Amino acid sequence: MPEIIIKNVTKRWGNFVGVDNLNLTIEDGAFITLLGPSGCGKTTTLRMIAGLETPTTGEIIIDGQTVFSSTKGINISAAKRDVGFLFQNYALWPHMTVYQNIAFGLETLKWSKEAIKERVSEMLKMMKIEQFSARYPAELSGGQQQRVAIARTLAPKPKVLFMDEPLSNLDAKLRGEMRTELKRLHVDTGSTFVYVTHDQLEAMTLATKICLMNEGVVQQYDPPLTVYGQPANLFVADFVGNPTMNFIPGRIGSVSGNSAEVELLGKKFTFTSCCPLDGLKGDVTVGIRPEFLPISDNGSIVGSVYSTLPSGMETTVKIKVGDTILSSVMFGSLNYDVDTDIRFSIYSDKILLFENESGRMFASGSMK
Amino acid sequence: MNSSQSKELSGAGLFLNKVRTYFSKPANLIVVIFLVILLTCIIYPLYSVLYASFTVGKMDSMMYNSLFKLHLKPGDFTMLNFTMMIAGKYSHEYSLSFFWRPLWNSVRMSVYSSAIAALVGGVIAWLITRTDIKCKKFISSVFVFPYIMPSWTLALVWKNVFANSKVGTGVTGMLESLTGICVPSWFVYGIFPCAIVMGIHYAPFAYILIGGILRNMDANLEEAATILKAGRWRIIRKVTLPIIMPALFSTILLVFSSTMASYAVPVFVGSPGNFFVLSTMLRSLYSSSYSGQSYVMTLVLVIIGAGMLLLNQMVLGKRKSFTTVTGKSGQVSYVKLGKINNVITAILVVVLFFMAIFPIFSFALESLCDVQGDYSTITLKYWTSRTPIEGFNIPVGEGILFNPRIWGALWGSLKLSFVVAVTVGISGFLIGYGVSKNRSSKLASMLSNVAFFPYLIPAMAFGSIFLAVTSKLVFLRGTFLILVIVASVKYLPFASRSGTSAMMQLSGEIEEAAIIVGAPWHKRMLRILFPIQKSSFISGFLLPFVSCIRELSLFILLTSSGTLITTLLSYFDEKNVEQMSNGINLLIVAIVLIVNFTINKLTGASIDKGIGGN
Repeated sequence: MPEIIIKNVTKRWGNFVGVDNLNLTIEDGAFITLLGPSGCGKTTTLRMIAGLETPTTGEIIIDGQTVFSSTKGINISAAKRDVGFLFQNYALWPHMTVYQNIAFGLETLKWSKEAIKERVSEMLKMMKIEQFSARYPAELSGGQQQRVAIARTLAPKPKVLFMDEPLSNLDAKLRGEMRTELKRLHVDTGSTFVYVTHDQLEAMTLATKICLMNEGVVQQYDPPLTVYGQPANLFVADFVGNPTMNFIPGRIGSVSGNSAEVELLGKKFTFTSCCPLDGLKGDVTVGIRPEFLPISDNGSIVGSVYSTLPSGMETTVKIKVGDTILSSVMFGSLNYDVDTDIRFSIYSDKILLFENESGRMFASGSMK
Repeated sequence: MNSSQSKELSGAGLFLNKVRTYFSKPANLIVVIFLVILLTCIIYPLYSVLYASFTVGKMDSMMYNSLFKLHLKPGDFTMLNFTMMIAGKYSHEYSLSFFWRPLWNSVRMSVYSSAIAALVGGVIAWLITRTDIKCKKFISSVFVFPYIMPSWTLALVWKNVFANSKVGTGVTGMLESLTGICVPSWFVYGIFPCAIVMGIHYAPFAYILIGGILRNMDANLEEAATILKAGRWRIIRKVTLPIIMPALFSTILLVFSSTMASYAVPVFVGSPGNFFVLSTMLRSLYSSSYSGQSYVMTLVLVIIGAGMLLLNQMVLGKRKSFTTVTGKSGQVSYVKLGKINNVITAILVVVLFFMAIFPIFSFALESLCDVQGDYSTITLKYWTSRTPIEGFNIPVGEGILFNPRIWGALWGSLKLSFVVAVTVGISGFLIGYGVSKNRSSKLASMLSNVAFFPYLIPAMAFGSIFLAVTSKLVFLRGTFLILVIVASVKYLPFASRSGTSAMMQLSGEIEEAAIIVGAPWHKRMLRILFPIQKSSFISGFLLPFVSCIRELSLFILLTSSGTLITTLLSYFDEKNVEQMSNGINLLIVAIVLIVNFTINKLTGASIDKGIGGN
């Protein structure tokens, strides 16, 4: 069964390093998302695994077979890697009908006519596009084209399916629907999915494991909720979550065992973690998710309302404390007048402390 | 996993594996193969011509031997070709009249005609894209006729109209026979008609380039200036002109180097008035066996052409971003021409009639007159006579429709054009594929530069270069094969450019989607890429076909007068058999127009797309 192992893979274009010494193991049957800002090397990584791009150095092993190795000069072409690839712009062949598009790969595999016909109609039915089988791609809407592309990719039953931002050209509503279907498809087909996206919400909702990249380097490779709750560093903490995490400068006072005194927002708090806090001192960055700053009349901290952004189900309130602007998310629709005073508290056992210099997460715990 | 796989490879084995991997991609193979072919077809000929310019020809040697008391045999090494031609070693008068004066004439002619082309083409482009002038469709479709027709067409018309009994060979033109007016000699032959005729011939080229930019230019750019209350004239001066400047400059340079190289027009309306330019002098030197000196001239033409193109690259390279401005706003508020709209439209239509439609009538009429300019002597014999026509210093043969020589030459031209167009079309498609798949590779960018290189070399010089090759590879001399090679290499630049830009526009994912499902290369080509690129491929086929069928200067040195329809036309014209040359010209123009429109109607591909795109 296909397990994908990537060893020390680097991709360079001249002096520019696209992917820097990447090591990754993708387990069989996983749904992995490669997440990161544009230009972070996620698409390059995907294309290298698929065989559409040649790494500069390193080794890639799919299902026990070395498909690329710079030291041995091995480079097996994409055609022989037995993978499926769903392109961002769908790459439907404009001169073929929907039926021909889906059948093409099967013809290449020399399936019999009847088998092709059967499989294509099965795919058309599965993707609910039976009525379009004689149409050309240009005569379909974006969502319908997307379905054809998925059908075409799945038709030869690939063991591994690569997807390069497949939903980014769809409108918000359709994107939501397709997300549901993709997750369903993953279960139904039992294949390994590798999915590239810059949309953290997509990565959070779909993946069994997120690989977050920046500037060609893997920042964190963990299940979504771990990435959200225990980000490895400031970059990950900042990239994941919307509205973004509050980063507040803090100063460590005395440390004893699992707890430490932290001064932030002009007040003194006690930070308690599960583990000993040896070596913690000086200036740190305190990371607090907006949902951990509840507004209430008996809150311990006073700020003024900078702006209120209600979105129906929830409301983001921007609070100004001194020179710092914090975000707080409250359930339901709220409205506060600008510049009025407001009280809130810090309430969670998932408050994070980051080292200022390295940006590394040092500890998580509660703050009182 | 076997043991050999887990072992690290090094040295030769690794290198071999890498080479095998590199060539397992067809795109890489294509790049390497075409690079080798093109370098052979360009570097070797250039070396031959350089070599030949330092050797003496038959008449060169006789001349130098008698002037300087030498004992040179044809083929001996000498510097004399250069010192005679350029430095004026024997006499300044010789160097002046055989080199410097023709060079000066070439430069003047090119400057004037590129100015005329840019001005006429630019103004019409502006009128069509930015004003509410009437009859736009008619104007824009008829205006490209002069460029589609052979360049000498208008030269021949000029002669047909203005020739008179007081100048040159004394043939009576239409103007004299209708009104009795005899225009002076400078008006009929010399730099004046050369510049006008070439200017008009290349004006559509300027129109296509500049019009393309104006059409694609984001109208918001001009609207933004309107919002800021800038007047129309100020907008043209401060916004429109600077944006189209690179295209304008590039057009001028391209026209300049094309006219520099042109042979047909100066030989039709220049030489009879003793107006010689580099290309006509080159031919006459060569045909009188002064081959050494003619190759010196070839080198000079190559250097000028290369210089022009380098200049063009520099200008476009720096300001390229300007030329590729595209915007979504297609709604342009047209300048209202108001009362003068009708006047301008009428003038344009009349001028276009004379530029594009009148020539066809003129050729038909002249081919029917037994005595030139005397319209009472109309006869069909030059078309339909089944017996040889008498009364000329050369054997003319039967009427055009029954003349085996003409049909043979026409068949030769069609065959050559077809073979060349197919070769060039496929090569352009494959080069485009190879280059677009290897965007960042040095070899690929070298290939696309080398493929464009033949454009630098004027057609006449190009013919001359390959002539130098046939003097060494004798088995190629005068063959069909050498014509195919020379024309294929010469016409490759546009085909490879348009092929590359078409392939670049096509998302790489389209092919990758087929790779993923395991379709082999030939299947991806035939079933995916080719069907999608059909229209651009046919454009890339059409341009060389039409160019080849009307090409004269490229072939005139390489083949005898009877092989191709254009060389035969030139022969009849030189020997003053005006009826036949007019009739043949009508035939060529008709074929070119019919082919162009048929393919346009069938596939939507058109010649102006081929030029205009890039």
